[in-house]
Amino acid sequence: MGLRWYHFALWAAFIAIMVAIPEFVSKGTLRIIIFANFLAIFAISWDVLSGRTGYISFGHPFLIGIGAYTSAILTKRFDVPIEWAIPAAVVMTMIGGIIVFLPALRIKGSYFALVTLAFMELTYQLVQVIRPDLTGGTRGMSGVQTLTRGALNGYYLSASLMVTIALSMWLLMRTQLGTALSAIGMNEESVRGSGLSTTKLKLFAFLTSAFVAGLGGAFYVHYLGSIAPRALFDINFLFTIIVAALIGGASTIIGPVIGAFFLTFLLEYLRPYLPGAERYFIYGLIALLLYMYEPKGIIELLRKGWHRLFSRHSVETPS
Amino acid sequence: MLQIIVQGLLLSGLYALIAMGFTLIFSVGRVLNLAYGAYLLIGGYIYFTVSQTLGVPKVLGLLLAAMVGCLVGLLKYRLLVKPLKGNHVAVEISTLILAVVVQAGVVFIYGDSSKILLPIVPGVTQVAGASVTYNLLAATIGSWAILFALYWFVRKTHVGRAMQAVSMDTKGAAISGVDPDRINMFTWGLSGMLGATAGVFFASYTQLSPSMWVAPLIIAVAVVIVGGIGSIIGTLIVAHIIGFMEVLAVAVIAPELRGVFTMLLIIGVLVIRPQGLFGREEL
Amino acid sequence: MSFKKTTLLAAMAVAAITQSAVADIKVGYIGSLSSDTGLSTLRGAEIAIEELNASGGVLGQKIELVKADTSEDPTEGVKAYEYLAETEEVDFIISGSIDDVSLGWLPRMQEFQIPTLDTWTSYIGIIDMIVEDYETMKPYFMNIASDEALATLYIDFGKDVLAEKMGWSSVVILQEDTAFGGAIAGLVTDALAPNAGIEVKESIVYDITTNDFAPLFSRAQDSGADFIYLISSVNSQVVSSQYVKLQVPMGMTGVNVAALGQEFWEDTGGAAGGISTLSPIPSVGFKLDPVSQAFVDTYQAKYDTRPIMPHFNGFNAYHGVKQAMAAAEEAGEFNNTSWVTAMEKQDLTLKLDGETWLRYAFWGNDEIEPRTGRTYPHNARFDITEPYDEASPSMVVIQWYEDGSSAVVYPEKYKTGEFTVPSWVKAKK
Repeated sequence: MGLRWYHFALWAAFIAIMVAIPEFVSKGTLRIIIFANFLAIFAISWDVLSGRTGYISFGHPFLIGIGAYTSAILTKRFDVPIEWAIPAAVVMTMIGGIIVFLPALRIKGSYFALVTLAFMELTYQLVQVIRPDLTGGTRGMSGVQTLTRGALNGYYLSASLMVTIALSMWLLMRTQLGTALSAIGMNEESVRGSGLSTTKLKLFAFLTSAFVAGLGGAFYVHYLGSIAPRALFDINFLFTIIVAALIGGASTIIGPVIGAFFLTFLLEYLRPYLPGAERYFIYGLIALLLYMYEPKGIIELLRKGWHRLFSRHSVETPS
Repeated sequence: MLQIIVQGLLLSGLYALIAMGFTLIFSVGRVLNLAYGAYLLIGGYIYFTVSQTLGVPKVLGLLLAAMVGCLVGLLKYRLLVKPLKGNHVAVEISTLILAVVVQAGVVFIYGDSSKILLPIVPGVTQVAGASVTYNLLAATIGSWAILFALYWFVRKTHVGRAMQAVSMDTKGAAISGVDPDRINMFTWGLSGMLGATAGVFFASYTQLSPSMWVAPLIIAVAVVIVGGIGSIIGTLIVAHIIGFMEVLAVAVIAPELRGVFTMLLIIGVLVIRPQGLFGREEL
Repeated sequence: MSFKKTTLLAAMAVAAITQSAVADIKVGYIGSLSSDTGLSTLRGAEIAIEELNASGGVLGQKIELVKADTSEDPTEGVKAYEYLAETEEVDFIISGSIDDVSLGWLPRMQEFQIPTLDTWTSYIGIIDMIVEDYETMKPYFMNIASDEALATLYIDFGKDVLAEKMGWSSVVILQEDTAFGGAIAGLVTDALAPNAGIEVKESIVYDITTNDFAPLFSRAQDSGADFIYLISSVNSQVVSSQYVKLQVPMGMTGVNVAALGQEFWEDTGGAAGGISTLSPIPSVGFKLDPVSQAFVDTYQAKYDTRPIMPHFNGFNAYHGVKQAMAAAEEAGEFNNTSWVTAMEKQDLTLKLDGETWLRYAFWGNDEIEPRTGRTYPHNARFDITEPYDEASPSMVVIQWYEDGSSAVVYPEKYKTGEFTVPSWVKAKK
């Protein structure tokens, strides 16, 4: 896997920081971090699939929505215990992952992105039409059972979920499997040529991504306590997930986490100064400029900064 | 029956106009411009401000909207698409971000609530039991006129043939003396102009709202996907397929399923025949 | 100055600052900052707070208002509520949220137990939550009549005006595909038909993203019904302006949420003549009592951007904030026990020419409304039986005329104009 001493050190530092955070910040800030944690999970899920394989998913809210809706419906309408509802939601989301996977057998690139977008729009419309007594129709559902109460508990739950997912995905992507997935992103034909089954590899990536999305979606709805189709199957939600992954740095797993924290805090810290719509304008503009300036993300900027500090020579040769 | 035909024809004409600018960029520049809907948004709001609020004559308002659309298209190419040097994913993502930024800007200036545009051409008549507004009729006729002009332009003029060449083979075109950069620039401007014009008609038919860029984008995407890349005639045909399908769904099956059929069509065509119904044709 | 002395002074200064910061009463506003709906509530609250501060504040302290934007997104609503509760630590929350946004943050209200007053959403499902789980829901109040009560009174309008005066005997329902649309359509089908002798010919359900209503209107015409009953809460100006632009040759009334605002005429570019809708009160064209009129005068002197006239929820916020503060004076603080009890007892009757005109009070927790036969804890007290001397009616019907004016046409007591159909529709009689 090529693990180095500084990998251990960085992860240990990351976990230590996450554990120590509640000692230093207010409850309000903890609430913000909880949303950042969930966004990080969704962005990691997107990264596992799209960051590596190059199959850009515009339909991630579709997967997250399956997880969230399944768990919410099971607990609220059928009184299924939450510890059963969440695994069931994850399984359902993985089935959803297979549905998204099918078009990927034949199409890629921009076309694949569009078909996933169509999936999202379709679900948005169907949720309102099919069995509104279960889904709550346009109004969604309120009073969904929550796992925890209070900012501190919510923080520990979401942070441990996020760190566990981030660490396991990071380790997974450092195996040969991860390398093979990256290779698909670069040149699918050559991977096939080298005797590997790209179909199996892709299926693996879709299922892993759906697993994370389902898990995140289910925990998310049991944190929010409510669910509304308009906020979920929404192009703005999709936008936040993708931009978090890309601004942080795609195909690095840790980049999306950085991106999620950056975006969430940017939006929240603008709140006292720009309470209205101009907040989203500034927020979008900063995201756009940052992405245009460094499409490889914040993690690349950090890496460059690191090199500039510690090895002056490497900077002088343009990369 | 006749009523369905009348309504289908009118709606399809509008859809063709909406999809045209999107198709142009997709065939010449080979990139998905997810901010295409923003042209419609900008066009509609410019027309609203200039003609409905300030009272400038409607034709001038329409022209101004088209010019601003053109300018936005040019700026988008220079500042966004060109620096990203044909990195498709980057262009798609950055145009998506741009669309969201434009939407936030519109909310900031005009507020959240929808506005209704006055008909550009007022009046209404009954044809075969269907109400036909002169406005939509004008949009449809205008749309046909623009499409034929475009067809003629691409086939017969020097610039048009250069566009065709770039759309088929960028490198080959460059070798034979066409400057792909200038052609791209021209196409982006033209696409912006078409988008903004379609926006005025679309808004005067439906409504003006900050989120109005999503629906036309999806129609444009559907037309491009179902039709296959970049044929003007293909665009026209598919716009009619989708338009008629929607009118039929409403009249015969169930109105709330209207959008569902379009989505199913997109997914179906992409999975079964990814190259589109009409395959890869020249422009 | 010695080091010790400096630290001591600094510590004192810090203490003083913290104390004065804590001492203020904080009111949080949750809602959209860019919609007419949200701004009505916000400005109603702003004026109430200004007036209260001018007369000495509440509990001997000044009131401070903090805003949290939801941009009408349910998840943003949850974040906004958390921000008000945990970062700003407000004492009371005034909300101008729409249905699904309120439903989104309600679990947070249950968790934080902050006194909260909703002024816009009228969803009966929220009142049901109070009935089912009073203990965790009790800090919540809604001072607009719930949608079910709105629809019930509307049935009377169908009987008195649509059936008797217009002579209409059959209807086609044109309903948006939302929970709200479904609920109202159900009521109309089950109650309007038998009570008013109006036959439901067909129900047409459309998706809320629908942009083009021409085929739907054709279908409505084909049904052969006398009039269209529209139920539209999302972007209803689209459907109604197309009705006008297409000059659909049959009458149309119902629920058209966009037509509740004074800007409806301007926003539709005048494509609004002949449109009528039920509206919570006070509506456009509604005659105002002196107290509410004074509020409107202050409002119009203070704000020169839209909405030029506060929507009904602006009035609700103005009176509601004052009542919430009065309840705090009585209880001595904001909490989920004594404040709730004091708030439940708030009662303000506004009179016009000696008659009960508007009333801001809440239903008793176990009080049964005779006509609907159910309880409405923490919901605005309404009256759905003539002569409306108990409380305000749950709704009025407003009519937009082709010259751009508007009036209340039902009930009789509040009437300022006549119900009418557009000029291109041929009257039946």
